[in-house]
Amino acid sequence: MTSATLLVVAVSFSIIYSTARFFNFAHGVVYAWGAYFTYLMARVAGMNLGMAIAIAVVGTALLGMGIELAIYKPLRKQKASSLVLLVTSLGVYIVLQNVISLLFGDDTKSIRMWPVREGWNVLGARITPVQVIIIVSAVVLFVAIMLFLKWTNMGKAMRAVASDSELALISGINVNNVILFTFALGSALAGSAGILVSLDVDMTPTMGMRALLMGVVAMIIGGRNSIPGVALGALLLGMAQHLGAWQISSKWQDAIVFVILLIFLLARPQGFLGKKIRTAHV
Amino acid sequence: MTYLLHIFILIGIYVIVAQSLNLISGYTGLLSIAHAGFYGIGAYVAALMVLHFHTNFLLNMACAAVLAGLLGFVVAIPSLRLHGDYFVIATFAFQIIAFSIMNNWVSVTAGPLGLPGIPRPEILGFTFTTHVHFLALVGFFAVLTFLFLNRLVRSPYGRVLRAIREDEVFSQSLGKNVTHFKVSVFIIGAAIASIGGALYAHYITFIDPTSFTINESIFILAIVIIGGSGNLIGSIVGATVLIMVPEFLRFVGMPSSVAANMRQILYGGLLVLFMMFMPEGFVGEYAFKKGER
Repeated sequence: MTSATLLVVAVSFSIIYSTARFFNFAHGVVYAWGAYFTYLMARVAGMNLGMAIAIAVVGTALLGMGIELAIYKPLRKQKASSLVLLVTSLGVYIVLQNVISLLFGDDTKSIRMWPVREGWNVLGARITPVQVIIIVSAVVLFVAIMLFLKWTNMGKAMRAVASDSELALISGINVNNVILFTFALGSALAGSAGILVSLDVDMTPTMGMRALLMGVVAMIIGGRNSIPGVALGALLLGMAQHLGAWQISSKWQDAIVFVILLIFLLARPQGFLGKKIRTAHV
Repeated sequence: MTYLLHIFILIGIYVIVAQSLNLISGYTGLLSIAHAGFYGIGAYVAALMVLHFHTNFLLNMACAAVLAGLLGFVVAIPSLRLHGDYFVIATFAFQIIAFSIMNNWVSVTAGPLGLPGIPRPEILGFTFTTHVHFLALVGFFAVLTFLFLNRLVRSPYGRVLRAIREDEVFSQSLGKNVTHFKVSVFIIGAAIASIGGALYAHYITFIDPTSFTINESIFILAIVIIGGSGNLIGSIVGATVLIMVPEFLRFVGMPSSVAANMRQILYGGLLVLFMMFMPEGFVGEYAFKKGER
């Protein structure tokens, strides 16, 4: 359950990271916006849930594109370093998170309209029908994105920009368009993950930061330029979280995750399946 | 009048904290978002000592500084192996762990309930009770921090810090022990931030984990960047601007629940605008432009 949605967050973050080459912290708030757009459409505007979700996914894609066009693209034009972009994305995160708080309030909101049912018993664990839907949707999204990157022209262009944006430019790829498309795709995926999670455990304005950090950790321990690596990282992290919750206490989940991250950063910063990263520049 | 003094005291505390981050991020180029962690540790150590052992204010502060310094040493270790955004993520991890400890180690920190009833500081039998007294105390430490850091960054030591920021490999090739400098700068920065935290705990007399979140770390970083990285005066300007400006929201009659969010939107937005149009801040000399790509 955790692993499945974590997988989608981690993959969506990593495609933006690998093409645009910076840690986009605003990604977390796009995830939260996915849930809140759905809430807005389903609860405030009174649409049916399917319609609301569709609009929310498009909304998050537009949000991601808007941020890219208004903020990151002009910065890239100034040849801003990845650190500049990172700091800027922190600012974007703060602004958009507080816009949610202002519009919807800090309390927990829910888009559930069905009664909470007792789950089925599967291998000694309880699982509800909603959770099954979430897991299946997350896996479908993941497989779709894998196929997309592998087989479509745009997917190939994205991989080309990720591996060397200058060479991609020379080969006639419009790098800015590819990055813009990546933001739309990544944001839509993040938004979908946010919606899936909110179906099960509701939403708060700060839900994004935690999800984002988990996604980042999954990406780093898996290996940042390898989608199978990211998937492996998400699975391991999801399991580590639950083992930690079971053996120690659920309140220490965050601390456990970040201790794991620090161990990885120090011992194997390229992750399980990643290539070695450069550590010094002359 | 009390209100104005309150604002000045807050500015004083943030000047101390922001200057210490400026030493790490502005002068040495090690962008860190763990600073609210150090600041919080200072506040918690001081509060716990005075609540349990009724120790003297200066002793609390010294203990806070030593402990934060030790943690600064721990946080510095990844900086030796990681660069650029990966190092930022490592500091992020420390921030989350620090917050998690404050929030979850209920038997010691009382978790989300916080620690109430921290007494006002007392030095040599004199108790700092009024705002005027406290402003003098905070002002004293702010000036002390400024004089100390100003001396530090103008010394040969400070010159090496700037050299590391501009080109680490080159500084190393000139025989500078980069490891030593990075670690020591983190220890100094963390210790000074914890002094700000101790002052905060004794001033507000109540602390809880929500004052030391990741958003607070970003706020401190925003002060450094908007004021000007690599310039101590910049941090004074930044703290003054970022604390004063949101206060005007009160005067236009904004309810306080909205004002808290507006304050964050304001500094987040300013951070974005400054990064786009004025990355060196008001008076900075360094703009995080020479990062690695």
